[in-house]
Amino acid sequence: MTLINRLIDWIDVRIGIREITRKELTGYLLPRNINSWYSLGSVLLVIFAIQVVSGILLLIYYVPDSGKAFKSVTDIMNVVPFGWLIRLCHAVGSNMMVLALLLHMLSVLFMGSYKSPRELNWMTGFILFVMVLGISLTGYLLPWSQLSFWATTVATNSANAIPVIGPSLVEFLRGGTLVGPPTLGRFFALHVGVIPAGIVILIAAHLFLLKRTGISTPPFGLNEANKPWQGESYRYEDHPGGIPFIPDYALEDLRSIFIYLACFLAVVFFDPSLFFPKEAFIPANAFITPAHIKPEWYFLANYQTLKIFPNEFIGLTVQGVAMTLLAVLPFIDRGRERHPLKRPLFMACSIGGILLWIGLTVWGHYS
Amino acid sequence: MEASRRTFLGTCLVAMAAVISAASAYPIWRYLAPRKINPADVKVGIPVKEVLEGEAKFFDYAGSPAVIVHKRGGGLEVFSAVCTHLGCIIQWEKEKQDFLCPCHGGRFSADGTVTGGPPPKPLNKLPFTVADGTITIG
Amino acid sequence: MKQRCIKIARSSFFCASVLIISALVLCVGLVKTVRAEEIVCIPCHSGLPEKFSAPVKLWQKSIHAENGIACNACHGGDPKDAANAMSPARGFLGVPKPADIPAFCGRCHVGVLKNFLASAHGRALGKGGPTCVTCHGNHRVLKVTLDLINEKTCSQCHTFERARKIRDAMAQTEARIVAIDNRISEFKKTGTDTEIVEKQLFSLRNGLHSLSHVLEETKLTAASTQIDADLTKIESSLNDLTSIHKIRKIAGVIVVSAMLMTALLLHLMRKTY
Repeated sequence: MTLINRLIDWIDVRIGIREITRKELTGYLLPRNINSWYSLGSVLLVIFAIQVVSGILLLIYYVPDSGKAFKSVTDIMNVVPFGWLIRLCHAVGSNMMVLALLLHMLSVLFMGSYKSPRELNWMTGFILFVMVLGISLTGYLLPWSQLSFWATTVATNSANAIPVIGPSLVEFLRGGTLVGPPTLGRFFALHVGVIPAGIVILIAAHLFLLKRTGISTPPFGLNEANKPWQGESYRYEDHPGGIPFIPDYALEDLRSIFIYLACFLAVVFFDPSLFFPKEAFIPANAFITPAHIKPEWYFLANYQTLKIFPNEFIGLTVQGVAMTLLAVLPFIDRGRERHPLKRPLFMACSIGGILLWIGLTVWGHYS
Repeated sequence: MEASRRTFLGTCLVAMAAVISAASAYPIWRYLAPRKINPADVKVGIPVKEVLEGEAKFFDYAGSPAVIVHKRGGGLEVFSAVCTHLGCIIQWEKEKQDFLCPCHGGRFSADGTVTGGPPPKPLNKLPFTVADGTITIG
Repeated sequence: MKQRCIKIARSSFFCASVLIISALVLCVGLVKTVRAEEIVCIPCHSGLPEKFSAPVKLWQKSIHAENGIACNACHGGDPKDAANAMSPARGFLGVPKPADIPAFCGRCHVGVLKNFLASAHGRALGKGGPTCVTCHGNHRVLKVTLDLINEKTCSQCHTFERARKIRDAMAQTEARIVAIDNRISEFKKTGTDTEIVEKQLFSLRNGLHSLSHVLEETKLTAASTQIDADLTKIESSLNDLTSIHKIRKIAGVIVVSAMLMTALLLHLMRKTY
């Protein structure tokens, strides 16, 4: 013990490690009425870390060549020791990441945490959401299965609905008139290089903004004496008398993380094919279109929206408008009230929106 | 009371953390570990007519280079092509009918015995059979 | 101040819309599926009267369609040039005469053709005997099951008695093949590499089915013994896979309980503060 203490002392006198611990960890106070929903951010950080580690491990055996990709993934699943585990963690993890992200957004929505002065936190979060969808979509192509190939064909094809530039945009996205080896090259670069780097930068920005504005107080239970921010000048929202991050809330974060891990590993071990239709294990064939190719569950609502409108451009525009409204929500919903039950109009709209999304997803699944 | 419970739970958590780290490190280590090929399981077939008299043919055997020699006056020999000195790959010298290791000038006869230079041992012989015009090594 | 807010809002609005629309373009799934090699026969024939359009619908449900074997694979012609699609100069064959049907199908199904021609069915070719399509149908050719040998089909020409014997001679082995096939497809859904066993099974199944065209139950019974021995080998490799999957499930129970246990410990620890 004394040796460890002396080591800490040695570091402390040089870089002031105790001061920073006091300030940022043990003395970092959070609202007393903070709840478990606030730990979803930490869960997401852990999910992202698992995706990065499993992704790097997969890169060791994966070959991004249209002639070899499917075989290399099959070998990872069957020949390489524990390859199945790493691959399933990565594939199931991507679905879980979208799910956790949706829950994180919902908690922010219902507790009104996106409201002024946290518009930038919301917008960086929203961009992260779009990037996670993008990384899922590009990753979908890499195993070069029938599912990969045709889901990507269908997804890139939707850009055709854009007037004038549509067809050339589709060709640009695919790197050719049809999905083929050039598409694999560019999607691979996006999936392992561009988008992960973007996500890391955005996570850094998101956390920086969180640190600068301070944690929002949940709208439930006790009312802090703080008078609301008026927009006159910068103010850090502190929580005197709150609970410390370490050890109190860190334990709650860890508890959520382990509950998440239990759910995640239960899927990996007991229902690994939950997110895999049978086309996922048939090599891509440009000459045979499978009968019922569907996008991943989180794109089903978009897919169904495009189907119900007579004109694809209208369908695409409706989605663009919906996504834009969601992105700039803090600028539309400017009321100070954050308690969900005191915001009947907001509640009606958001619950309606969620039901609509679920309805479209179910409809898309069974159509 | 509170403090002793905390110590107990803390100890349990540290133990759990150790178990979980070991349990996650093991699959990753196995995933990364080079795969062992059991040489006894590998068989390579080479047609007899591919190896002309007085010549040698190099091939891959269980992940390492090997060589077949068709000696002048008949007779086949199969060796590992790894020099017994420091592991360089030997070359066949057709005019002299022997092997030369390019690293330190080790020499082996067509029978694999050391005829010069630093190699401490003769070349490793590999088992083979000849049937139906095919040499099967392994 | 207010103006600056509006300005920021406006520019963020712009940025967000650009980002979202470009993301949507990337992300959204669309209805229309594209056939990489669109052949000209289908759009044209689909619009013709029943007699000419029916084959398209029938074919779409067939095993041939499933495996990407399109019109030109049997009927010849040029599927890429609408004007000359049905020109004999481009190899168009059209509809075979009844007596030519076995040779027509036998261009691909070589083994079956040989056995068929040697059989009582084949010897009666052109003399009122059956052709391939009598039992298998024409455009809607399905993956064969034992039900294809049935009273209704066979008694078009003769009593069911002999056909039943042939069916019984195949029944046991065929049932095993079907069961193994189902097991393999279950494994395939989990990402298991089943290519080797699939091919082994296909070859055994093909052997049995092609032999059934000889129409001699003694030959079938003899062949079944050999096929059964090979099926046992396939089964034992599948059993190995089953036990591996079982071990993974047990590991899963341990891993998931460890996670829940840790969560519980953390929860109790949290309560001490």
